[in-house]
Amino acid sequence: MTYVSFLRAECHLVWRRKQNMVNSVLFFLLVVVLFPLGIDATPMFLSKAASGIIWCAAALAILTSVESLFKEDYHDGSLEQWLVSGLSVPILVLIKMALHWLFIALPLLLLSPVLSEVLYLPDNSFWPLFMSLMLATPSLFLLGGIGSAVTVSLRQGGVLMLLIVLPLYLPIIIFATSVTKAAQVGLPYDAPLAILGAIFFVSLVVSPLMTAISIKASVN
Amino acid sequence: MSWAWLHRLGSPKWFYGRFKAWPKPLFCLACLCLMVAMVWGLAIAPPDYQQGNSFRIIYIHVPAAILAQSCYFAMGMAGVVYLVWQIKMSPIFLQAVAPFGALMAFIALVTGSIWGKPTWGTWWVWDARLTSVLVLLFLYMGVIAVQSALEERSLADKTAAVVSVVGLLNLPIIKYSVEWWNTLHQGATFSITEPPSMPMAMWLPLLFAVIGLYLLSAAVILWRMQTEIMRREARTQWLKQEVLSDGV
Repeated sequence: MTYVSFLRAECHLVWRRKQNMVNSVLFFLLVVVLFPLGIDATPMFLSKAASGIIWCAAALAILTSVESLFKEDYHDGSLEQWLVSGLSVPILVLIKMALHWLFIALPLLLLSPVLSEVLYLPDNSFWPLFMSLMLATPSLFLLGGIGSAVTVSLRQGGVLMLLIVLPLYLPIIIFATSVTKAAQVGLPYDAPLAILGAIFFVSLVVSPLMTAISIKASVN
Repeated sequence: MSWAWLHRLGSPKWFYGRFKAWPKPLFCLACLCLMVAMVWGLAIAPPDYQQGNSFRIIYIHVPAAILAQSCYFAMGMAGVVYLVWQIKMSPIFLQAVAPFGALMAFIALVTGSIWGKPTWGTWWVWDARLTSVLVLLFLYMGVIAVQSALEERSLADKTAAVVSVVGLLNLPIIKYSVEWWNTLHQGATFSITEPPSMPMAMWLPLLFAVIGLYLLSAAVILWRMQTEIMRREARTQWLKQEVLSDGV
């Protein structure tokens, strides 16, 4: 196994399971639809809440799709192969996460213009929203990957994984929505964007290492 | 300089023998300190000129909040130590400290909210400090949940260490949330390096309360660590002898 062959195999796997991607997009749309129907469908409320709604829905969609990131690899023994392959496990983890980000978060990003129209997001805050999604969804994947690896050996690991990962998502969501909030009232929003970038870099360093440690401990 | 003392700290046997006698005196000292602080702070210290008597809750709120953060920092450090050096004592410490820290975070939140009602006019505001302490509580609960959900000891230890290390990211956010944002919560009340911003008669009981709670945490955590050592090393010979020589 080399990094290139690993990447190719993972690409094949992701492509063969296109349905996963479709499912997470559908889930994202459904969560977004819940808010206008459940709370208030007037433009006045929605234009204020739009970025928060999109962010919460994106976080939940990513969380549910990340949950099973390593599940099949664990059950079919691929994780053991990773460990004995002599390749660096953190880099393998990073490749896998990047690929899944491309396949799951990118469709959400592409949908965001449509959704921001549907939710009456003011025009001046669309780009800030888009930038915050671009910067922070990778962190969501990286942090979620840790939770996924930690609970991979549990049969009912889903709730535990949510308990571990959601508190880590909260600061990201706070900073991400403060980007659009600042943009809506015409304030500069580069400070929260910078913090999101900082969180991304920290999780880029920490997450593959921690995920690799958890994988090693789980496979044993 | 010899590092033997540090290496010995990693051995449950040595640790157990060394600190066997510590919790009780520590606990008594802590009770004494806390009693002084409570009587002084709640009854003797002068009332605040703006808040009246309601300010007195800081004698519980501030120490609990400080301990909640310190415990998390210690837990995260123990996690790093375990992941890097695989020292046997660190998961034991981690396991002992997590529920105590969670309790402290909970007390800080509850007392803050009780104080907020007469002073801010509301039980809860979604400001940075309050929210990040709430996140801290969730992080503690996550660590505790991991420890109880994973059956296999070594896996549970590793996982709890990973979770607590990742959660360390939250600490700077709590620490600086009051300085970064202009929030409702005021700046730090208590600092050793700067002269106190309140009169001595109010500050000294707070000092006692903080020291007392630190002592209490040391006592409780040592106690819990001993119990955990006994549970983990139940099959070893030295523990058998230890227990038998105690005449149990």
